Amino acid sequence: MQRKLRGRYLLPGMVVVGVAIAGMLTSGESASQAATPPAGAQALHSATSAKAGPITYNAPPSSGIAAGQILFEQNCASCHGSDASGGERAPNLQGLGPATVDFWVSTGRMPLASANAQPARKPPRFNRAQTLQIVAFVNSLAPTGADYPSGIPSVNTSAADIATGNSLFTLNCAGCHTITGAGDALSNGFFAPSLHKAQARQVVEAIRTGPSLMPHFGPGNLSDQQVADIVAYVTGPIQHPSDHGGLGFGGIGPVAEGFIGLLFGVGGLMLVAFWLGDRK
Amino acid sequence: MTTTTSPTPTGGARRGRAGKPDPVVAGVRWLDERLGVAKGGRVLLDKIFPDHWSFLLGEIALYSFVILIATGVFLSLYFIPSAQEFVYHGVYAPLRGSRVSSAFASTVDLSFKVRSGLVIRQMHHWAADVFVGSIAVHMCRIFFTGAFRKPRELNWMIGITLLILALTNGFIGYSLPDDLVSGTGLRIMFSIVLSIPVVGTYLATFLFGGNFPGDGTIIPRLFILHVLVVPLVILGLLAAHLGLLVRQKHTQFPGHGRTEKNVVGTPMYPTFIAKTTGFLFMVAGVLWALGGLAQINPIWQFGQYEPYKISYAVQPDWYMGWLDGALRIMPPWSFHAFGHTIPFVVTFPAVLFPGLCFNLFYVWPSLEARLTGDHAEHHLLDRPRDRPRRTAIGVGALAFFFTLFAASSTDVLANYFQISLNEVLWFFRFAVFVIPVIAGFFAYYLCREMSGVPGIGRRKRAVVITRSPQGEYESVPTEPRPGDSPEELDPSPVPVRIELDDPEPVGAGIPGVRRIPRRR
Amino acid sequence: MTDDTLTSGPPGAAAAGSHGADDGHAAVLPLAAFDDPHMQPYAKNPRRAEAIIGLILLVGLAGFCAYGGLFWVGGQPQWEGVFFGVGLFAFGFGMSAWGKYLLPQGPFEEQRHVLASTEPEVEAMAAAIEERGKMVFRRRGFLGTILGAGAGVMGIVLAFPLLRSLGPQPKKSLAVTNWTKGVAVVDLDGRQIHQADLEVGGALTVFPQGFEGSAVDQTMLIRPAPADQDIVTKPGRETWGPKGYLAYSKLCTHAGCPVGLYEGTLKRLLCPCHQSLFEVLTGANPVFGPAPRPLPQLPLMIDSRGFLHAQGPYSEPVGPGFWERA
Repeated sequence: MQRKLRGRYLLPGMVVVGVAIAGMLTSGESASQAATPPAGAQALHSATSAKAGPITYNAPPSSGIAAGQILFEQNCASCHGSDASGGERAPNLQGLGPATVDFWVSTGRMPLASANAQPARKPPRFNRAQTLQIVAFVNSLAPTGADYPSGIPSVNTSAADIATGNSLFTLNCAGCHTITGAGDALSNGFFAPSLHKAQARQVVEAIRTGPSLMPHFGPGNLSDQQVADIVAYVTGPIQHPSDHGGLGFGGIGPVAEGFIGLLFGVGGLMLVAFWLGDRK
Repeated sequence: MTTTTSPTPTGGARRGRAGKPDPVVAGVRWLDERLGVAKGGRVLLDKIFPDHWSFLLGEIALYSFVILIATGVFLSLYFIPSAQEFVYHGVYAPLRGSRVSSAFASTVDLSFKVRSGLVIRQMHHWAADVFVGSIAVHMCRIFFTGAFRKPRELNWMIGITLLILALTNGFIGYSLPDDLVSGTGLRIMFSIVLSIPVVGTYLATFLFGGNFPGDGTIIPRLFILHVLVVPLVILGLLAAHLGLLVRQKHTQFPGHGRTEKNVVGTPMYPTFIAKTTGFLFMVAGVLWALGGLAQINPIWQFGQYEPYKISYAVQPDWYMGWLDGALRIMPPWSFHAFGHTIPFVVTFPAVLFPGLCFNLFYVWPSLEARLTGDHAEHHLLDRPRDRPRRTAIGVGALAFFFTLFAASSTDVLANYFQISLNEVLWFFRFAVFVIPVIAGFFAYYLCREMSGVPGIGRRKRAVVITRSPQGEYESVPTEPRPGDSPEELDPSPVPVRIELDDPEPVGAGIPGVRRIPRRR
Repeated sequence: MTDDTLTSGPPGAAAAGSHGADDGHAAVLPLAAFDDPHMQPYAKNPRRAEAIIGLILLVGLAGFCAYGGLFWVGGQPQWEGVFFGVGLFAFGFGMSAWGKYLLPQGPFEEQRHVLASTEPEVEAMAAAIEERGKMVFRRRGFLGTILGAGAGVMGIVLAFPLLRSLGPQPKKSLAVTNWTKGVAVVDLDGRQIHQADLEVGGALTVFPQGFEGSAVDQTMLIRPAPADQDIVTKPGRETWGPKGYLAYSKLCTHAGCPVGLYEGTLKRLLCPCHQSLFEVLTGANPVFGPAPRPLPQLPLMIDSRGFLHAQGPYSEPVGPGFWERA
């Protein structure tokens, strides 16, 4: 009994494999050099800007307060109240400082899309100028509390030490955000978000203001230089990991690796065995 | 066993073209005069291997192991098994200036500085994952077809032991680079040993050289276990496993010409050797490709392990996931009396439960023999659908382990599907009991249905139904496809001699007729 | 090699040299002729199969060469993976296809010989063991006892270097930390922690001074409340949480992972390994997950200059449970 070579499987199989390899190669190391995230907001120099250091905190321009009030009334007051004092549905924003407001608005978390347990990053509704106007307005309502930075941070990472940032990140951040910054689920529907889209300024703001469930790291806990080191590490090896070994699978580790190993490794070889052996 | 004395076709000693003695004959004679291999050797060459594809799954495991040894030797030429710390000034910039151990640093350097180092290191890790996976798949094949029955109970037990050793060596292996993720696993392993009543604390501090993390001796100890002790035991058991297979011969599915008293398939030489050597290269090719294209265990991103560091989303390698899942879903029961504590919340899922599972695996052949009353010798396999109870139990067990594996990734699942972590955990606490039962029942009734259907598993011929303009229906069976012919050859013994030259020409032996030599 | 068409007779027909499987007797086998259907290759069109297999093997060869070349110009993991992986796979595929499609397809058989020996042989073997054994021990039972005792003791005694020499006895190492009365609370770099250092909602990993980085001493210092509140987590711990600070052992009581995840606004510590959840304000009681016991609390005090110290050691052993834990 003679059989044809199973040519009908050969060509489609080769096409699939070829596409798969091409796809994998173009998303490997070379493609992980994504465009650097846009630099944090340029320092808006005003009379109240702090002295030069790894992080400078600049107050938002007061010229934006009027426009900010209009934007706030249209987009935020329905929950936070016209004077941002909050209520049942939303917290009091007075005294939280410009960095807090800038974080929530520029990451798109506010305005809130749906009343989930925790607001998530999404494309921001406002452009940078508008965001600063809103920040200026809220900032004008009350003096900033002692626990919060007095201005919007801008980071200078030229003197940052990535190895120190690595060590600090591992000790303080990896427990929630994972060692690769991929984010993970906390209790009761909350989560620590992925850091892969965070801009340098937003990293500082999050560290200094402790949004949602995040702990609040003040200058007594992490100095400005240490925060700059962490920012350098996040915007460097976290957001542009050295995926020297190929596809990174999202950086979530053995769960993804086991899936691939079983599906492609064992599964693929079982397919080979299916071809090689008999069916009877 | 066929024994033959065959007449030589052309009489006398075989000679090559120019009349010189055939070198192969000379070689065989040389060996035979010293080792007596000619007769027994031919038995080996004639050995028959049944060809069903599911019999090749064990080969995936075997060849993964061969690759583990080969790549492992390479890695051992670069890895420094020491927990001694120093300040890193190597090739991976984000670590420069931090304290790392020699084990960690040598692995990072191997990954970045040595050409093909990372590919081979990742190939080794992928091969370990595939090794355990293919053992599991192979074990399922043995279970569901009843190949573990007499006389193969011993081989089954050797196989279970090989599985345990593979799990162990895999865990030890990925703990060697002393990185954050695997170090966390070692901390948990220490706590598991600690949870053993009476002797746990002693065993743990003996093994690690003190309270965790110990005096650093754990890394070189694990190294020698990983590269010498466990592989030697695996090799010995593997030799026994294959030796038993040769001695007892392979099982086969029932079919045309197959009985309990024969083995039907292809002979070792040349067919099986060609196919299996090709398979070795294909396994190697898949693993090498994975090693180059799919990143695994990027320890430089994790950093050096320190006992006060932790990362979220840390799971063990996939094959330990069932234990991690069990640890996560276990209710927080701990027993405390008379000045002693048994932390049952750890002792049960990590010590008692796997012990129970493996013991069940070991005794399954005798358990099934007792339950079915079947103590006969079996060389013909069952189709799983013909043994619905055994299949249902197996499917239920598989579903149980799958659920535990999934329970190991509760946080990742909660994050990915945006469900509350608490709900995910409670789901698994119930699912681990409910899902196996459902799966088992489903499998049982599926098997019963399937074995009742005539012609099941055989390809059906299409029937074309035509309707005439008057409304009459007619069904016309199509031509059978090539290869669907029910004709099958009877199996024949392996021929001892094969006529490679042309057969006797017409007119040979007739006096006066001269044969014109054919131009070659 | 013969050409394509099949020349098989009716099923089971023996071409010269093949016998049916049924008779089971040893048969004298002359040659297998080359038109025996068992000797035919599996491929319907062997020439075409040869060509395809040849191409595949060439791909393998090309892959090997490409990898070799790439290695010498420096190498790159992904391309190395593609070249040599495709090379190996194609090479193997070609070999296997050769074996499957171009070699005699069979089916061939061999007979199984009965594994078991005859009953008299089994009895003779058992008898040999028994009777010769009895010969050894006949009227020499006491020698056997001494031999056995010696072997037993040797076995026990050999376990000593194998186990005991490995490492120190646990003794108190699992129950005792380096937190002593009055020791200063410092961070990983040895900096003393001042009460003004942490904001409300802050968290930091701390150690006793002089033992920075020590595994068993690692402690989570958190500040759930502002400076005007002293936190009392349980009766008897009135002074343990001065000025809004609390300190708990960072070693999870489940399996020992560092509990490094502080949910600030919910005031809970979450262990990343198996998701045990501890309520910080009530003494780190476990409210979710597998942890069976609360995290031990470190009693804090603040000195006259405002620096944090420990009032004394932990009141119970830190970390996961073990047999001797009272």
